[in-house]
Amino acid sequence: MDSLRPAPNSDFLVNKKRVRVLGLSFDDAVKIFFGGNALVSVIVLALITYFLFQEGFGFFGQNHRNLLTYRQAGLEYVDYIRTQESAHTALTRYLSDLRLRQFNYATLEKNISPSAANESLVAFDDFAALYGDAVEPLRGLVSELTEQSTAIKTKFLVAEDKRVERQQLTTEGKIAEAAAVKIETVDFALEVKALTGTLPAYKELAAEFAKKLDAALVTAPAMPTPELKNRLERFRQLNSDFIATFPATTRSLETWDYTRAVPWYQAFSAFLFGREWLTASFWQDWYGIVPLFMGSLMVSLVALLLAVPMGVGAAIYVNQIASAAEQRFIKPCIEFISAIPSVVLGFFGIAVLGQLLRWLSQQDALAWVPGFPFSERLNILTAGCLLALIAVPTIFTLAEDALQNVPKAFKEASFALGATRLQTIIKIVVPASLSGIISAVLLGLGRVIGETMVVLLCAGNRIAIPDFTAGLAVVTQPVHTMTGIIAQEMGEVVRGSIHYRALFVVGLGLFFLSLAINFLAQKIVNKYRISIG
Amino acid sequence: MSALNRHILQSQPSAARRWEAAAVWLFRSATYVILLCGALVFGTIVFKGSKTVFTTTAPFINVAFFTEAPESLYVFEYQGQKREMGDREFRAFKAQHPDASNVKSESYVYSAGGIFPCIVGTVLLVLGSMFIALTLGVSAAVYLSEYATQGRVVTAIRLAILNLAGVPSIVFGLFGLGLFVIYLDWNVSLIAGWFTLALMVLPVVITASEESLKSVPKGFREGSLALGATKWQTIRKNVLPYALPGILTSSILGIARVAGETAPIMFTAAYVVRDKLPWEGLTSVSDFFFQGVMALPYHIYVVSSKIPQNEYTERVQYGTAFVFLMIVATIATSSILLRNKLRNRYKW
Repeated sequence: MDSLRPAPNSDFLVNKKRVRVLGLSFDDAVKIFFGGNALVSVIVLALITYFLFQEGFGFFGQNHRNLLTYRQAGLEYVDYIRTQESAHTALTRYLSDLRLRQFNYATLEKNISPSAANESLVAFDDFAALYGDAVEPLRGLVSELTEQSTAIKTKFLVAEDKRVERQQLTTEGKIAEAAAVKIETVDFALEVKALTGTLPAYKELAAEFAKKLDAALVTAPAMPTPELKNRLERFRQLNSDFIATFPATTRSLETWDYTRAVPWYQAFSAFLFGREWLTASFWQDWYGIVPLFMGSLMVSLVALLLAVPMGVGAAIYVNQIASAAEQRFIKPCIEFISAIPSVVLGFFGIAVLGQLLRWLSQQDALAWVPGFPFSERLNILTAGCLLALIAVPTIFTLAEDALQNVPKAFKEASFALGATRLQTIIKIVVPASLSGIISAVLLGLGRVIGETMVVLLCAGNRIAIPDFTAGLAVVTQPVHTMTGIIAQEMGEVVRGSIHYRALFVVGLGLFFLSLAINFLAQKIVNKYRISIG
Repeated sequence: MSALNRHILQSQPSAARRWEAAAVWLFRSATYVILLCGALVFGTIVFKGSKTVFTTTAPFINVAFFTEAPESLYVFEYQGQKREMGDREFRAFKAQHPDASNVKSESYVYSAGGIFPCIVGTVLLVLGSMFIALTLGVSAAVYLSEYATQGRVVTAIRLAILNLAGVPSIVFGLFGLGLFVIYLDWNVSLIAGWFTLALMVLPVVITASEESLKSVPKGFREGSLALGATKWQTIRKNVLPYALPGILTSSILGIARVAGETAPIMFTAAYVVRDKLPWEGLTSVSDFFFQGVMALPYHIYVVSSKIPQNEYTERVQYGTAFVFLMIVATIATSSILLRNKLRNRYKW
């Protein structure tokens, strides 16, 4: 019997007394520890949301104030007239284009020497000068008003700063110092009166301006070819359209009222639909996400256009056609491509690919390609090509997985019916795995839209909505992207400023965009998965 | 004639067959074009970078490039000879040759010296963040694969992991800036970079670890439990040891990702330039964690975007890219090779 008694120091026995701390055994504690670590990902996701909101949400309030100042200081008023001025500038650009066409016609088709061609265009130049100079009085008024309203704005901003300073001092308990802070109150009614007081002068100027334009147009010389004649006719039309907008401008100037409130939703709509992202400008900062979003979208589209056929094609090849030895070679290679850091790819784009593409575009043999030749080395196309290389491994791996998951019986049945290999692939295997392939493409899109370094280095960083009137040539224009703007400007902004918060809101948009893409990809996989069996 | 000689079961030339051959070639060329593009990028950088990194004389490696800090390069003409010198050398030269003090020189920042501080910074960032990521990730995977039962919490965790994997790296950078740098007031520091990178790579580590844990046969656990071991004893003695090699190799790919990312460390850990190495000038232990570092990927970004491209700056640009690519490639290759080896080792 003695031998059956347990050894006193064996620790594996069931009847061993368990140590409990706060009612938890050791095993419970271990479980809780692991569980806690598992919760980290949930917590991180929540924290990301929270901090992006916390840092970014103040933007909308600040933007509202920004827009309000724009109105109250009369900047909006001046911009009405300025729009008119810039419309006229666009018209003069049309005229210089017309001159270039005449010049080309004379030198290239009639073989007149350049100096003689210039001489023959003297009459046109006089007309263009007359037309261009007509704006001068108006321009003078605009620059005068610009100065005035900028002064109002500065005065107001200084007062705001002082107010903040006083508040800070008060909260710190320095009442005396706080009282010593002088705050100049800005009487908008008085200040703005100086602006609106120029309305009669403007009306006179505008009437004269319109008269001058029409008078100038009478002096326009005749055009040599029907095509150019049509263009001049078009110009006349544009001119009369332009003059027809005058009453509307006058009306908006007359009805302009600095006291009109800026509705709260405009802080949001100005961000979501704003067509301008303009910061650190002396006049007025605009935070509109549209140009950045369009940039991201265009770059991603080009990348996907290249990456989807390649990635899916390669997945089909490796999974369905290639031999086992080929598979063993290709798969690690593509995995290896996915390990190339994006900043190295970006550097490759700057140092090699940009130049290469530009050189290609300047070859005569390729002149038929839309957008060729181009001069900007860094543009949508360069960034798109490199992003395609980033998206391909993602799309390839996931699509290959999806193809792998198609039951073998499907394929065998198809072969048994006498289908060829290609027919089986196109009609059986690919449709059966389509949901997986689509979600692979979506995840590739998520990867591309969130990529930062490549677009920062290679997209050209010009903040402008791509000009879609150029047709397919739009891909040779430089753009800026949502990821790129954050990376570029975050290092330079003042913490807590409206610009800083605007960048966080862009990040927030990016975050939700990636969540939405992820969600969609999962939804598609789960909903359209074929039942196996 | 030949049509008559063919056996009836031999394949006949037909339109379908020609289509198939064409399609196969299309798919095949898509595959190899991808490989070619990868090879082109890799080849260009290796080819041009090796000029900086290797030398024709012994010891065949550009030691200065690996052991010195970046400095400005001065190019000037002196006594009819074109000379290139780093900042320190140039100053010494001017001291030696008083008549050279007024010589006209062109300077290029970061184009001379080496990249030692960047290598050190990247190694520190990777080590710290992988330590954090592995601790968090493996524990989370153990919970998910060993303890968790289907329920709302587990669904939420899995959903969070899946979504976290898709969050753009720049958003992690913003998050790190908001939480670690500003809210916790860690400033731009190693530790802020560690946590940012660790959280970014967490989904990769969790997924890889869970897969390895799942591949340990159920019998191992059941046998252990049947012998009276507790759950934790089972996991510690009979599950983790067999899963660990798999966890580590798969996580190496995570290391490659951590080492390669630039956007998350831009605002959290990386300095454009810092003349002190991380272990110099420390007054206390905590100083070590709360200092920013230079890092290879950020340095590549700086030298490729902030300085003009010419024959003098090209050397440091390609050299840095080459070294960085080699480091990442070595990590990635070793992970792929190890995994293939491991796959053959355990057969259950």
